[in-house]
Amino acid sequence: MAGKKMKVIVLLAIPVLILGFLAFQGFKNSAAYYYSVAEVSAMELTQNKLRIKGELVKDSVDYDAQIPLLKFSLVEEGHLLPVIYNGVMPDNFTHADEIIVEGKLEASGQFQVSKLMLQCPSKYEGEE
Amino acid sequence: MINSGIACLSLALGLGVFAFGAALGGIKRKNEIWLENSRKASYGSVLFTAGAGLVLLRAFLADDFRFAYVARNSERSLPLIYKVSAFWAGQSGSLLLWLLLLSVLALVILGRKKYKRDNLDLKVTAVIHALRILFLFLLVFVTSPFEKAEVLFGDGQGLNPMLQSLGMVVHPPILFLGFSGFAVPFGLAVVALGERGKGAAWIKASRPWLLFSWLMLTMGIVTGGQWAYNELGWGGYWAWDPVENASLFPWLTATALIHALWLPVQRRYTKFWCFLLTALTFLLTIFGTFLTRSGVLDSVHAFAGGILGNIFLVVLIALAAFSFYLGLSRRNLLIGEKASQEDTSWFSKEGGILAGLVLLLLIFGAVFLGTMFPLLSRALGGREIVLDAEFYNQISVPLFLALFLILGFAPFLNKGRTNWRRLGRKIGLPGLLGLGAALLFYFRSSGHLAGSLSFGIGTFGILTHLCGLLSKFNRHKLGVALAHIGVLIMLLGISGSSIFVQDTFQSVEPGQSLQVGGYRLDYSGLRTVWGVNQHAVETTLEVYQGDKYFGEITSRKIFRQNREQPATDVGILSTFKEDLYLNLAGWQGQTAQLHVQTFALVLWIWIGSAIIYLGVIIILVPFGRLLKKLGR
Repeated sequence: MAGKKMKVIVLLAIPVLILGFLAFQGFKNSAAYYYSVAEVSAMELTQNKLRIKGELVKDSVDYDAQIPLLKFSLVEEGHLLPVIYNGVMPDNFTHADEIIVEGKLEASGQFQVSKLMLQCPSKYEGEE
Repeated sequence: MINSGIACLSLALGLGVFAFGAALGGIKRKNEIWLENSRKASYGSVLFTAGAGLVLLRAFLADDFRFAYVARNSERSLPLIYKVSAFWAGQSGSLLLWLLLLSVLALVILGRKKYKRDNLDLKVTAVIHALRILFLFLLVFVTSPFEKAEVLFGDGQGLNPMLQSLGMVVHPPILFLGFSGFAVPFGLAVVALGERGKGAAWIKASRPWLLFSWLMLTMGIVTGGQWAYNELGWGGYWAWDPVENASLFPWLTATALIHALWLPVQRRYTKFWCFLLTALTFLLTIFGTFLTRSGVLDSVHAFAGGILGNIFLVVLIALAAFSFYLGLSRRNLLIGEKASQEDTSWFSKEGGILAGLVLLLLIFGAVFLGTMFPLLSRALGGREIVLDAEFYNQISVPLFLALFLILGFAPFLNKGRTNWRRLGRKIGLPGLLGLGAALLFYFRSSGHLAGSLSFGIGTFGILTHLCGLLSKFNRHKLGVALAHIGVLIMLLGISGSSIFVQDTFQSVEPGQSLQVGGYRLDYSGLRTVWGVNQHAVETTLEVYQGDKYFGEITSRKIFRQNREQPATDVGILSTFKEDLYLNLAGWQGQTAQLHVQTFALVLWIWIGSAIIYLGVIIILVPFGRLLKKLGR
């Protein structure tokens, strides 16, 4: 009986370990840490992926459609964060109430975005 | 008019509360008069709900911008179909839509002869009323669609251009119908357990409701993905966004439940599984609403936060506690005698189903954990951490593959114990061909492991199901096989479209062309098309494959009057092999920036989903009996 129990435990342990490993791997590659604009302006350089929410400074938007390269700034409580995004400007970009960016902080203090998310006035749709 | 809307909702709420109370009291005291009154009040409540719906619909159709909700979500020049769909473009309207669908369900149940015995119709309706009362309360006191506009907008503020698409006309009602449908199996289970019924009639009675709701939920999720693919222009159909995940939660548990409902009821744990999954599925539909309405997670789809979220949270906790209590206090009814467990091998139909249930719940657990991780990490005192697609793919893909591998054996697993020798004979050819498909994919994708496995497993499963149909054929078997084959075809489509992607972004002048995959696209310039209250800038490219003309593809940006924000129509050229996906990203003069992508096998996803629908409809509708009836 004890032998049978052992067998069940070992058999269950294998998938659990595999799952745990996969979850850990996935976590390591995808975890993005939430910071406010103010916190980012004061923080030291990190390799972690960051996720930041802020309000768009409307007249900071500089878009070169040819490359495409989108530059803008996010603001929160007086702190500014310059952001660059190598991608097409979403249709509803300038209308978004709030913008969430995910990416990495560069040595220059600029934030390089890998994923751009918008919260729109109707709060119903999104675009990446 | 506004006041009549408010009056309708208030009366519906009052009558709903009365119907609920009278049903409860009437059942307890076995008072026929109360029960009769409860039935009448139910009809009344449903009637006034419909009245409120009609008032709002009329306001949309008549451009009555005295309604703040209409002014916010519609405009005079909107095409008729979008005036209808603007009904559910905002928060209170979508709650009202959900309420209307619940009311229709209540009506159907009250009208069913089968449910008249022991007043089952009233009892199940009472459970639905409980939910209806919540929605009515919210609509009357928290977020009313019948608020007066403070400032009169002569022509309305208009509907968000992105919501002006066929996808957003059909996606919300279908999804809500699926969500609300799960209330009925929950009601049946609650009534059966509440009365300490020994039988398993509720399990059998749940089946058609569950199949129907599952069908609607599946359609809702797929149409949502199609909308994103056609409308948002980034070329994807699923982003593992919290609100998307929230619709996947009940889908996963409901899929498990569908299979649990066909386990032999005399098995020891069958009723336990059925109740667990019924309650979980129902709770998760409410939880999904909580996620979308509370704003606790940053989702791109979510409505702004507010009191609504808190109310849903309280209701959710109460419902979870109630279900837990019910299950715990009736555990003797849910878990059978030890002796009732026959000697079944794990290598049997039942074993396969159980393994599938566990895998589905594991997937649910992983996705749930990932979705809630921002809250968890914050609650544990750390910084909020958000996980993205990579996490979900990493953990769910192996689980899904294991699930689909088991699915491939389904047609040849026997009840009780599987005949090994027969199984070996039957799966030889599909197994070999599956292996071939996996190897072929392996070399074509230069060694993509997960993709090769999904192709092997998908091919294997499709073939075993076809073989299974050849050896034994009836309506139920056909439906099940089609649903399974549809899922596996979707698996092939999803793997193909996420692995074989080509992408190019280019600025082109008229006369220039661009290359992507095996295609050459010739750009000849932009044109402006003027319409009523809108204009569009569009381009049509001629597509060649080698020297052979392949077709045309058009993408446009539409500018609607009074709206700064344009809407993009992507161009899609679909073949069985791949989709060519064109997005007109921008322009200066006649120089256009074009984003062109190819995604393999996307069409298979939509075809697979259609085959699933067909399969479920075949299981659900007794065509033979219907034909006989017609013949008579």
